Amino acid sequence: MNLEKMMELPGAMAAFTYTDKGELQSHVLREGTELTPQVLDLLARSCVANLAIASMEARGWEAVTGQGGFQPLKGFSVVGLEWSVVVNGNCGVIVKNRDADYEAAFNALQTV
Amino acid sequence: MHIVKQLMAIPGVIAAGEYAYRGDRFSFQGALTDEFARMASILCRANTLSVNMQSEIFDSFAENCGCRPVQGWIVHGANVTVCTVGNYFAFIENREELLNDVMTIMRAKVGDIHEDLLANLYAKLGGDTKEALY
Repeated sequence: MNLEKMMELPGAMAAFTYTDKGELQSHVLREGTELTPQVLDLLARSCVANLAIASMEARGWEAVTGQGGFQPLKGFSVVGLEWSVVVNGNCGVIVKNRDADYEAAFNALQTV
Repeated sequence: MHIVKQLMAIPGVIAAGEYAYRGDRFSFQGALTDEFARMASILCRANTLSVNMQSEIFDSFAENCGCRPVQGWIVHGANVTVCTVGNYFAFIENREELLNDVMTIMRAKVGDIHEDLLANLYAKLGGDTKEALY
C-alpha cells in the first residue's frame, strides 16, 4: 500500500491501512493535524463494520428490488463536520471537506 | 429551487428524496417505486443514525476532532452510488465528476447539520419535537 501516494490526494490529512478485523496496520499523518493514531485505530474498526453493513445492504437491495449496479462495492465514506474518511478494502484516507475530491479518493483506493 | 428538483435536473441522477420521522415519511423523485423509496428512506435513516453514533464514540476519544456531527455518508457501488446529506438522499450513476457535483450541491443546499439530528428527522411531526423526544 502506497500511503504517500494517498497523501497526495487533495486535502489529505491522513492515510492508513488496517487488517480485516479493523486493527490499524500502518498510517501517515499530516504534520499539524489533530488526528491521532488512536482515532485512526477506532476509525479503521468502524470502517470495517460500515463496509460490511454496506455490502449486506447492497446485496439485499439488489435481491429485493432486482436493480443491479451496487455490487461489488467500491468504497464507503463518512462525511464529518470538517473532514471525510474514504475507505475501500483495507485502506483509507481522510480528506478535508473543503478540498475533498471524493471521486479521486475512491479511484485512488482502487489502485493501491 | 428545491434540492430534490435541483438534483433531478442533473444528468445521471437516478433518484433523489427526503425522509423524516422513522424513515417511513418521505418524498422523492426519480426511478424508484413508492415501496423502494420507502425502503431506501428507512435504510438511509438507519445508516445515518449508525454513523452518528460512531462519531459520538470518536468524540469521546478525541473531543472536537472534526468528525462530529456527521454530515452524511456515501456508498460507492460498482455502477451506482448512494449519497446522503442530512435527511436527503440521492442515487446516482457513476459518471465522471457527478459524485463531486452532487455532494457539493447537497452540502451547499442542506447546510451544516447541527447536533440536533434526531430533532431534524422528527421535525415533520410538528409541535415541539425536542420535548417529545427528550
